[in-house]
Amino acid sequence: MSMFRTIIAILFSLSAEPLQGADIAVALTDDVVEVDANFSGAQVTVFGAIEAETTDIGKLDLVAVLSGPPGDYTIRPLQRNGLIWLPGAPQNVADIPRFYATVATRPVKDIVPLYDQDQYDIGAEQLHTDEEMLPAGYREAFLEAQRSAGRYSDLVGGVFFVKETLFTIKLELPADTPVGDYTLDVFAYRDGVLLDRDFAMLQVNKVGLERRVYELAHERPRLYGFLCVAVSLLAGWIAGLAFRK
Amino acid sequence: MQIYLPIAEISVDPFVVVFLGAAVGFLSGMFGVGGGFLMTPLLIFYGVPPAVAVGTEAAQITASSVSGVLAHLKRRTVDFQMGWLLVAGGAAGAVIGIVIFRYFRAIGQIEAFIAITYVIFLGSIGSLMLLESLRALLRAPDAPRAKRKRRSAGWMAAMPFATRFRRSQLYISPIPPIVLGFFVGVLAAIMGVGGGFIMVPAMLYILNMPTNIVVGTSLFQIIFVTAIATMLHAAANQTVDIILAMLLLSGGVIGAQIGARVGKRLKGEQLRALLALIVLAVCARLLFEIALPPRTPFIVEPAL
Repeated sequence: MSMFRTIIAILFSLSAEPLQGADIAVALTDDVVEVDANFSGAQVTVFGAIEAETTDIGKLDLVAVLSGPPGDYTIRPLQRNGLIWLPGAPQNVADIPRFYATVATRPVKDIVPLYDQDQYDIGAEQLHTDEEMLPAGYREAFLEAQRSAGRYSDLVGGVFFVKETLFTIKLELPADTPVGDYTLDVFAYRDGVLLDRDFAMLQVNKVGLERRVYELAHERPRLYGFLCVAVSLLAGWIAGLAFRK
Repeated sequence: MQIYLPIAEISVDPFVVVFLGAAVGFLSGMFGVGGGFLMTPLLIFYGVPPAVAVGTEAAQITASSVSGVLAHLKRRTVDFQMGWLLVAGGAAGAVIGIVIFRYFRAIGQIEAFIAITYVIFLGSIGSLMLLESLRALLRAPDAPRAKRKRRSAGWMAAMPFATRFRRSQLYISPIPPIVLGFFVGVLAAIMGVGGGFIMVPAMLYILNMPTNIVVGTSLFQIIFVTAIATMLHAAANQTVDIILAMLLLSGGVIGAQIGARVGKRLKGEQLRALLALIVLAVCARLLFEIALPPRTPFIVEPAL
């Protein structure tokens, strides 16, 4: 979709009668991100339009939440056993986004009331898990691990108003972005009151040779193993011939 | 430039990986060892998940052993009769090794298990090699070297089913080679090594095989055992990254050629002392990683 058509589509999707004083619509320039061998991360550009009753758009706050496919994680504390450190009893966290990024005009906690953060899953700290009763430190450890891997992030800035009513939001995907279906939610707030929200879908797909290797390895593991052996034998034989004295 | 490894699920610089393969290949060509016991820890240091490092190394060693055995086949320095026995034991060992590997993976201790196994093996073998080569270096250069005497070990001939191994000029029971093959097969599956560094000394000093056929026969066994380990790791654990293996191989074969040429100009004792120091350095690094307080107090990983 070209940028122009994206903008036209957004403008048409704005409803005639703004609710609660504002109306927001968003779309992605590319709703599919392809991960191939040379994938070193990508930038996702969100186009959006907002109509408000008042003209002081500058006082509006926008929060974009890009949430990736859910996954299950195991968290283990490292414990000293004599000379060495070994992982202790595991704690499982199920159904938590494998990727989670927020981009906002100001820090999320200054824009969104706590109740809304909880209600709409805005902010990584508010993410719901099946295990609400994680022992102390586990949740923080999980968030820290995801942040240092670049899979969880919160960015202030990154929302750019092109004109009074048109804006773009830039989101960064790291090189090891998880594959799957993503949801982008954009919320418009003013003085702690949600004015309107809109969403868009994004797909991250593995393509090319890596996709085939990955799928074969996980869906037909025996055939994949057989092929690995065959490739190794052949490659070794060719290498041996190449350096024959 | 970055390339995404589909199974390791990390982005790496392919030139770094090829260089890593070449560096280990250089050492293995120079010292006449496989290099798996160096490559697996180096891959772990580089950020490849330990389980993937082990599975991938199995594939790479299969390939490099094939290229190595070709020369031995041409020179007829492979004892097939002995080789098949070692393969039989090794196949059983690899299966048991994978069972152990899967158990430690299921309880979430595979990384620590691989590290501890490496520390023990690299530590003991490195120390032994260092002592032995230092002793040889300190010995007066003109002192007569004790010539290795091949005596047929009576206890191995006394065991059941004693057979004549014509190529190895031995009359022993097939049980010791099968047991040796089994032991090395277990190591191959859980450590991602070929096991030549155990197999070659054991063939020389326990089985008393002639020196000229030891390396060829060992390579012959390693091809089959690591091929089985590759197959099992891929089928049971999905931890073989064939793209990573081929990148390493392409550097490895070139490095090995250069290494072999350099190795011919150096003295055996000096080479072994050098290799022993490298082995001990890798061992120390692995030991520090599990003995020093961790950088993060928790391990977070996707559930299996």
